[in-house]
Amino acid sequence: MKRNPLPSMIMVLIGGLFILPFLFMIFASFKREAEVLQPDKILPKTWDLANYEAVSRNSVEAPVGLWFVNSVFISSATTLLVICLSSLVAFAITRIRVRGAKFLLNMIVGTMMIPAQLFLIPLYVILSRMGLLDTPYALILPAAASGYGVFMLSQFMRNLPVAIEEAAMIDGCTLPVVFWKVTLPLCGPSIATLAVFTFIGSWNDYITPLVFMESVTNYTLPVGIALFQSSYSTQYGLTIATSLLSTLPLLIMFLVFQKQIIESMTSSGLKD
Amino acid sequence: MNARRKEELVGYLFLVPYLVLFVIFIIVPVLVSAWLSVVQLDLTNASKSAFIGAQNFTDALKDDFFWQATGATGRFALLMVPSVLVLGTAMALGMNRMAQGRDMVRALVYMPSMLNVAATGILWQWFFNNEFGLFNYTIRKAGGTPVPWLTDANMAMPSVVLMSLWWTVGGTSVVVLTALQQIPKMYFEAASLDGATGQHIFFRIMIPLLKPVLLFVFVTTTIASFQMFGQAAILTGGGPTFATRGVVQYMFETAFNGYRFGYGAAISWLLFAAILVFSSIQARVLKSQVEG
Repeated sequence: MKRNPLPSMIMVLIGGLFILPFLFMIFASFKREAEVLQPDKILPKTWDLANYEAVSRNSVEAPVGLWFVNSVFISSATTLLVICLSSLVAFAITRIRVRGAKFLLNMIVGTMMIPAQLFLIPLYVILSRMGLLDTPYALILPAAASGYGVFMLSQFMRNLPVAIEEAAMIDGCTLPVVFWKVTLPLCGPSIATLAVFTFIGSWNDYITPLVFMESVTNYTLPVGIALFQSSYSTQYGLTIATSLLSTLPLLIMFLVFQKQIIESMTSSGLKD
Repeated sequence: MNARRKEELVGYLFLVPYLVLFVIFIIVPVLVSAWLSVVQLDLTNASKSAFIGAQNFTDALKDDFFWQATGATGRFALLMVPSVLVLGTAMALGMNRMAQGRDMVRALVYMPSMLNVAATGILWQWFFNNEFGLFNYTIRKAGGTPVPWLTDANMAMPSVVLMSLWWTVGGTSVVVLTALQQIPKMYFEAASLDGATGQHIFFRIMIPLLKPVLLFVFVTTTIASFQMFGQAAILTGGGPTFATRGVVQYMFETAFNGYRFGYGAAISWLLFAAILVFSSIQARVLKSQVEG
C-alpha cells in the first residue's frame, strides 16, 4: 500500500502539541517571575537558576529534598515488597498448586474490583490503631497487599512450560531452589513490567499520602508540591520548578525505557 | 504422598507473608468499612458506637451536597468518556497510517501520563490563569475575549476535563493503536479488492474488530472518571461554588475534615456500587477473552 505523507505530518503536529506544555514547564522554571507572568517570549531572556536555588534551600516550610528522599524510599520499598511477595504467592498458586489455590486467587482478584477510595477510611482507623499513621509503612504495607502483582504473575507463570522446572526437580532441586534459580529468572520480563508499574503508581499516588501523612517532613513529592503550591500559589516560576523536579525521575526513566514501558502497558492493558 | 505433603507445606510458607498483609490491609478494612457505614461512630470510645442500620445511606440520598457531588462526577464522566474514546481512536488511526516516526509520536503523546496529578494541576493552573495564563494571553493577543477558565461555574468542569484529556488520552490512543496493528492486513486488502470504499472499511471492518478494545477503554475510562479527585482538588479545590467537587472529594472532606467516618464510609460504598456495574461488564469481557 502506498503511504500518504499527510497523516504523518498531522500526527507529528499533534505529538508536538502534547509535548508543548513540557517545554513551557522547563522554560518557565528558568524564568524570573515577572517574565513568567508575561509570556511574550517563549524562551527565558536569561536562563536564571533562582527558582532552583530557592527549591534547593530545603526550607522548613518546604523541604523538597526531604520529600524527594521520602518518595524514593517509599516507592522503592513498595516495589521490592510487591515483587517478593507476589512472586512467592504466584509460585505457590500456579506451581505448587496448594489446596484452595483457585479459591485464593479468585478472592485476591475479586478484591481488585473494590475502588481504592473505599479503603481510605477503614485503613485510616486501622493504621492509627497500629500506630503506623504518619510513617512510611502506612503507604508501603497496604500497597504491598494489592492483588495486582499476584494476578499478573500468576497469569504469566501459568503460561510458562513446566518442563524446565520438572527437570530441575528430577535433578534433586528443592522447591525453594527451583523458585529462585529457575522460575524467577524465567519471569524476568513480567517482573520488570510489574516493577515499573508499581514504582510509577507509588511515586504518583496522591490521595493516600494526603490522608495518611500528617507531618510536612513525612510528605511524598505529589502531596508536598500541592502544599507548596497552596502557600506560594502566586509564584508560578517557583512552583513549576518544584513540579518539574517531582516528575524528573519518572521522565528520565520514561525517556530511557519508553519502548518497553509503552509496550508492556498496552499488552497488560489488553490482557487484563 | 509424603513428598506431596512437604510440597504443600512449602507452598503455605510461601503464602504466609502475603496473606498476613492481605488480611490486615484488604479483608479487615472491607469489614471495618461495612461496620462503619452502619454505626453512629463515637471517635472517643468505639464501644459506645450505636447501630443505626441504613441511616447513613438514606441520609446520603437526602443530602443535597451528595447529589451535587454526584452531579459533578457525572458531568466529568459524561464529558470525559466520549472525548477519550473519540480522540483516542482518532489519534490511533492517525498513528497507524504514519509512514514514519510512529514510535516517536507514540512516546510524545504518552509522556504526559508520567506526570503526577499535582504537577499536572500546577502547570495547568498557570495556563488557565485569567490574567497571566498562556491561554488568555494568546486569546487577548488574537483580539478575543478572555475566558474565565477556572473561575466560572459552567466553565470550570470543561477546563478540568481539558487538562485530564492532555494527561490521559495518549495512553488510550496507544492501547487502541496496538489493537489496530493486530488486525491482519489481508482483511483490508480483501475488502478493497471487493471494491469496498474507505468508509465501508472503517465502519464495517475496523470498528467491529476494534469493539473489544473500545469496550475496554469505555469501561476503564468510566471507572477512572467516577474516581476523579486530584485533578479538581489541585486545579479548583472543587470550586467555584462546588461546581467541580466530585463524590471522592466529598467523601474525603466528610471523613477527614468533618470527622464523619461512618457517613464517609457509606458514600464510598455507594461509589463502589456505581463502579461495580461497569467493572462487572469488564469482568465478563475479561472472562470471554480468557476462555476464547
